[in-house]
Amino acid sequence: MRTVRLYLRLLGAHFRSLLEYEADFVILVVATVLMQVVNIVFLAALFAKVPALNGWTFWSVLMMFGAVALAEGVGSLFFDGMWSLAWQINRGELDYFLVRPYPVALQSSSAKIGVNGLSNIVMGIIMIGTGLAHVDIAWTPWRVLLGALLLISSVVIKLSINLATNAVSFWLSSPTPLFAFAMHQVGDLARFPLSIYPIALKAALGAVLPFAFISFFPVAYLLDTGQSRWIGLLTPLVAAYCAVAAAVIFKRGMRRYESAGN
Amino acid sequence: MRSYRALIRATAKAALAYRFSLLLGLGAVLVQLVALLAVWRVILAESTVNGFTWPQMRAYLLVAFAAGTVVSLLGDFRMAFRILDGDVALDLVKPIDYQKARFAEAVGGLWIELILIGVVVGATLALTGGVDTPAAPALALFVTSMLLLVPLKFLIVYVSTLTCFWTQNYMGVQWARLAVVNLLSGALIPLAYLPGWLAAVAQWSPFAGLTSTPALIFLGRVDGRHALQLVAVQLGWVVVLWFGARLVWRAGLRRLTVNGG
Amino acid sequence: MPIVEARGLTKVFRRPDKGPGLAGAVRHLFARRFTDKVAVDHVDLSIEAGEAVAYVGPNGAGKSTTVKLLSGILVPTAGDVRIDGLHPQRDRTTVAHRIGVLFGQRTQLWWDLPVSESLAVLRDIYGVDHATYRKRMARFDEVLELGEILPVVGRKLSLGQRMRADLAAALVHGPQVVYLDEPTIGLDLAVKDRVREFFRSIRDEGTTVMLTSHDLADIEGFCRRLVIIDQGRIIFDGDLEAVKDKFARERILHVETAAPVPLETLRTSLPGAKVEAEDTPTRYAVRFDRFAMTAGQAVTTLAGLTELVDFRVDEPSIEDVIRRVYSGELVLG
Repeated sequence: MRTVRLYLRLLGAHFRSLLEYEADFVILVVATVLMQVVNIVFLAALFAKVPALNGWTFWSVLMMFGAVALAEGVGSLFFDGMWSLAWQINRGELDYFLVRPYPVALQSSSAKIGVNGLSNIVMGIIMIGTGLAHVDIAWTPWRVLLGALLLISSVVIKLSINLATNAVSFWLSSPTPLFAFAMHQVGDLARFPLSIYPIALKAALGAVLPFAFISFFPVAYLLDTGQSRWIGLLTPLVAAYCAVAAAVIFKRGMRRYESAGN
Repeated sequence: MRSYRALIRATAKAALAYRFSLLLGLGAVLVQLVALLAVWRVILAESTVNGFTWPQMRAYLLVAFAAGTVVSLLGDFRMAFRILDGDVALDLVKPIDYQKARFAEAVGGLWIELILIGVVVGATLALTGGVDTPAAPALALFVTSMLLLVPLKFLIVYVSTLTCFWTQNYMGVQWARLAVVNLLSGALIPLAYLPGWLAAVAQWSPFAGLTSTPALIFLGRVDGRHALQLVAVQLGWVVVLWFGARLVWRAGLRRLTVNGG
Repeated sequence: MPIVEARGLTKVFRRPDKGPGLAGAVRHLFARRFTDKVAVDHVDLSIEAGEAVAYVGPNGAGKSTTVKLLSGILVPTAGDVRIDGLHPQRDRTTVAHRIGVLFGQRTQLWWDLPVSESLAVLRDIYGVDHATYRKRMARFDEVLELGEILPVVGRKLSLGQRMRADLAAALVHGPQVVYLDEPTIGLDLAVKDRVREFFRSIRDEGTTVMLTSHDLADIEGFCRRLVIIDQGRIIFDGDLEAVKDKFARERILHVETAAPVPLETLRTSLPGAKVEAEDTPTRYAVRFDRFAMTAGQAVTTLAGLTELVDFRVDEPSIEDVIRRVYSGELVLG
């Protein structure tokens, strides 16, 4: 609990300086809203001409897009500092992190607030909510609880992948998180139903870097659509696995840290 | 003229040094290509939609990819930082035109982009089957349109980068530009799929020239007269933006001097 | 039990041998070749609680690397570190509460926060209660004069202001052990003096301090123990005064007399000292071994011979001694 409170304290410290540039704040929010609006227009235009994509309706794909937006938004708003890890390593900024009594990964991830996350979270919730409102689900308390669990797991998976791929910077010496960014972009593939992809991509997105568990599998389970809907139930397990794997990779990486100036 | 040619050569040589930022920019375009290929393959396997067959849509997406890759090696980030730092003032004392110099740099990076396009298009064709190439007159028009795309795309990025004179937030502006261009150029989905009014707006906007125009000409979906008209619109925007950019630049400089750089 | 203990501490940095450009990078993928650079080589060091130690050596000798190993920032290639009996990586957070680190070359302040806010964030990270924090800050303020810089944003601090704020930041939690790595680098003389006074105040409170510096003026009047490192190895570890006694025994007495005195007269009255004339006819320099004669004796003798207008005693600095050690002119121990 102290860890969480302290995290918000660390993150919140940057809040005031964020508001200093009000116009920039607005530009960023508008730009990210625009990006999601373009996605929605694209989906609407596509599904206006075709009723379904491999059996997936507009509303279900909208939910997948929403889930990715939400997970990404949480990553930016609360953990944007992860994307500075490569830079922090290169500049030797981990020196001070390592002598403070607080988890190094959390010191790194709280170094920045990505305001764009705010609009992605809001847009993501709207997309998921609208999707849910237009599909038939027999809501039981158990299903609501499960839905919430799937949503949280989805976010945890995205955050874990972000951390793990950025921690690769401990091995690569580049000051920019190229690998992590490339993987992040690959993750955009998972906004569409996994069933449309060739087998190699299915394996990559379903198992190697399980982006499909952020959006496709949980939505498939919740909507009871597709061929392997039960896989969605594994989402919390995948989340736990990803979180542990990310922590291990980060710990390993930290042992390789050589500071700067040598 | 000689100094611009020197700039082109210098950028061409340095292009490899920027290969990582190029790959980064390319990543998004490539992922979009893969996703859209998969989406349309499934959809068009059942029936044609809006008159697009699977081979046609494949060709469309490949042209979109090529158009999205050309002129992405721009030093727009460097330019943005120099404006934000006020270092741009140092560029002003050089005896060359700022806008032409930046354009020369964009041209210098073309070769490496063309190689990448060749690789990706080749791989896609090998994996998914060939495409029909249009007849000679249409092909000539297509090439013209692709050539016009170079200054057009440069100018759109250039003008959007000049907004750094007014805002600190370059990222936000770029994201907004990418989103608008993606939709209105037809890169995300052919304009014919958009609601009528939006398609009309896009058609006459400078963005259609960034994907829709060359792609439709390549597919032969527009006939001679209409095709010529589209290319004329493209050319018109290049001219308008070239001189419009100068106005924006001058206004930006005034702001720079007012703020004391 | 020593509070800081290192045994056989070794750190080897491995650097890839890459040829220039892309071709070199590609070749490296296939034929990996590395150069090993031994930055710290079998260092044994133990520091008792309350001790003040100066850790000196020429640039690139391995000073900073040792500090990073002793604070758990770097994992040693071989050897072992214990802080208060704890392992700095395994018990990282516990150790973190007990140590404070300052790297003069790098700030730990948040660049977008005012100094007061940076310090408050650190207070919360370390869980220092508000009353203790206020008391500590008030005390730091006495020597460091923090008041004026508290509202300044990190990125707008001058170097001297930054160092003062960083010193407070390193000590917010009242650590038992403090490592100060080049804490006066780039500072002007006035700030240096203030910062040095601050070192003495924390030493006097019983904090264990290890001070790394290439400015040897930092260590004079600060610590009793001197450790010299060169090329990753400790070449001397002992009493600072002992070094001075052994290698800096010579004193120079500069005198000015009311009227010229023949050199011979001075020489015969001060046997065992070397007397030389200086730039003007009434000035002389007397060199003597301080164990053979005291400065007082020399002055008294001279005052008996002639009227003294002025005199001054020069004491060779530890700086001279260590410089001679670096250059290989002197072998200690």
